[in-house]
Amino acid sequence: MKHIRKAIAAAAIIPLALSACGGTGGATSEGGSDSKDIVIEMWAGGENDQKAIQTQVDIAKKLLPDYNIELRTAPWGDFFTKLTTNMASGNMACVTGMNSGRLSSYVDGFVELTDADLETAGLKKSELAPGADEVLMNKGKLYGIPFDVATMLVYYNEDQLAAANAPVPAPGWNFDDFEATAKAATANGKQGFAVGMGDFQWMALPISKAGLQPVKEDGTLDLTNEKFAAAADWYAGLVSEQKVAAEVASASELGWGEDQFSNGNAAMAVDGTWNAVSYLTNESGFNVGIAPLPVGDSGESLGLVLGSGFGIAKNCENKEAALKVMGALLSEEAQDFVASSGRSYPARASSQPKYFESLDEAYRDKVQAAFEAGFANVQGQRVSDEWAQVSAYLTPELVNAYAGRAKLSDILATAQGQFK
Amino acid sequence: MLRSAHAPRRGALARKEARQALGFASPALVGLAAFTIVPVGLSIVMSFFHWPTFGERYPNGVDNYIRLFTNSPDFWPALRNSFVYALLYVPINVILALALAMGLGPRIRGRAALRVLFFIPVVTPIVANVLVWKMLLQPQGLFNGISLSVFGYQLPNFLADPQWAMIMVVVMSVWQGLGYNMLIFSAALEQLPETVVEAALIDGAYGFRMTWNIVLPMISPSLFFATVMTMISALQVFAQPQLLTGGGPGNATQPLVQFIYNQGFKFQNLGLAAAAAWILFAVIIAITALQFKAQKRWVHYEH
Repeated sequence: MKHIRKAIAAAAIIPLALSACGGTGGATSEGGSDSKDIVIEMWAGGENDQKAIQTQVDIAKKLLPDYNIELRTAPWGDFFTKLTTNMASGNMACVTGMNSGRLSSYVDGFVELTDADLETAGLKKSELAPGADEVLMNKGKLYGIPFDVATMLVYYNEDQLAAANAPVPAPGWNFDDFEATAKAATANGKQGFAVGMGDFQWMALPISKAGLQPVKEDGTLDLTNEKFAAAADWYAGLVSEQKVAAEVASASELGWGEDQFSNGNAAMAVDGTWNAVSYLTNESGFNVGIAPLPVGDSGESLGLVLGSGFGIAKNCENKEAALKVMGALLSEEAQDFVASSGRSYPARASSQPKYFESLDEAYRDKVQAAFEAGFANVQGQRVSDEWAQVSAYLTPELVNAYAGRAKLSDILATAQGQFK
Repeated sequence: MLRSAHAPRRGALARKEARQALGFASPALVGLAAFTIVPVGLSIVMSFFHWPTFGERYPNGVDNYIRLFTNSPDFWPALRNSFVYALLYVPINVILALALAMGLGPRIRGRAALRVLFFIPVVTPIVANVLVWKMLLQPQGLFNGISLSVFGYQLPNFLADPQWAMIMVVVMSVWQGLGYNMLIFSAALEQLPETVVEAALIDGAYGFRMTWNIVLPMISPSLFFATVMTMISALQVFAQPQLLTGGGPGNATQPLVQFIYNQGFKFQNLGLAAAAAWILFAVIIAITALQFKAQKRWVHYEH
């Protein structure tokens, strides 16, 4: 009888014990402070994504043979949901992937990286491309090192510009040139330009025109800055006044400008370097050209440097080992792989040429010239604490601004008052 | 004597049976507790807390509610939008569904096929429905294309105009939700007692009189059920505006549930979202209670 009771008790306890292991042992299996078990968490969509990140992890494993490195992935959307939960419960993986646009919501989960930390990791800021160290910075503090960098560029439909006899954009062009091209290309039932709905897409031109970001260095909102407000009104005026771009069909069209360009309805649109290859090899078969953002009133074009990378979790028990693993993931060998696979534009300066080598010869030089000009003057994106709300507020309001029902500068002023 | 001898035994048996019953019911009770009672209770607690997804949580009394009513620029518009939507959607939906159900009477050939046709939007995924409607409504879409080529008239930008956007959300929702109520009304109409109908016919009730004085009172329980359920689902509307208009332009079509979603899952402010959800709950309960009270005047249960 006693045995039976013991057996029942054991049977009852085992699942509990197992689930307890699953809960706590899951992400923090790094164990004690000198353990060399390190978990990496990163987003990966399809099979190709999966393979690419696995290859980088394999390189890290090769460089650090006595470490036990484990990779966990989730698709982009789920990754951040999962990260929110992990962060709330103190279960973030030691080395966690992060994107510049999302960092502000997750700074609480990451440790600030010092120069000593970078030394431990075997990384140097000087080896990164200019501006790349600002990709995962928030309010002047460094939270991660990127593996790729991106910025916004102007994409144009060469066939449409030729048909309309419009001047072709070239590095060094200014906003008058931009207007001239947009006006000339607004012909034959097509629009010269397509306005953006996403933050990066719509803000790129106003930022370059004004020569400044709508957020100050200390992270306070600066949406009412005269220069930026004027540039924003000019941007909305492309639709409502100059009529070189179509009104947005709905506030739910988050990729409006990019879609209009891909559909061949508009001759120009602003989008990130990450889409360069997919535009150049577009299915509709039109020829695509790339130009940097036009030069603003300050005499320079100003772009934002964006990108993704890795940071170290605050709850990580073995920071040193985690830093080493991060360093290996961002080593020259791993970065060369990122570049030569053509997947994204690496953050390490010495690996960048390999990205262009991976491209088709037909457009290699074109891409290289545009990228080099695009990255010539870039700043890390500054965001305020409530940026997600600012952005969610602005997106549906943009529709009113483009339709001419409200001035974009007034909308920005309202946002400034509401989210300061 | 007999009673007193039996009473304790019956009590013991009842207690034993109650325990056994509890044993059998416990899986269901555990499920109910884990997935209904605890989350509902927790959401009440959350609504009185400053509760970010991560970071420090602390009780803040009724601050969330006060903030919603006095200091949240989107809350009142969202509440207004939910009401406007419900006031447009419910009557149009019920009247059209009723007209369809009556129209598809026994004399219509292929009525079964027609019913299936009207029911299809109910079962197709909303994302697909919205995609089709967007293609119809956008300036480069079908409607404007036809209007331009045939009449040379430029239609408004339906989903980007503050007034039209709400109308189109309602139109699309009616199209989507019509089939369900139609089916309920059809079922009720098929079950009209022949004796009553025959008696009415003998008494000379035809056409409008027949419909108004005989048919509608007879199917009033179904009408009541449909109105209550449609009203509840209308106040909970989310997917149609979220996908069709993104709540825009501005906040012109943002209903309360979308407001709750944004607060909770975009801005990580779960306390405020929980408070707004409880306000929505109170509104729905109040309106449903009113409907139940009013039904005594117009719903007839006995045939």
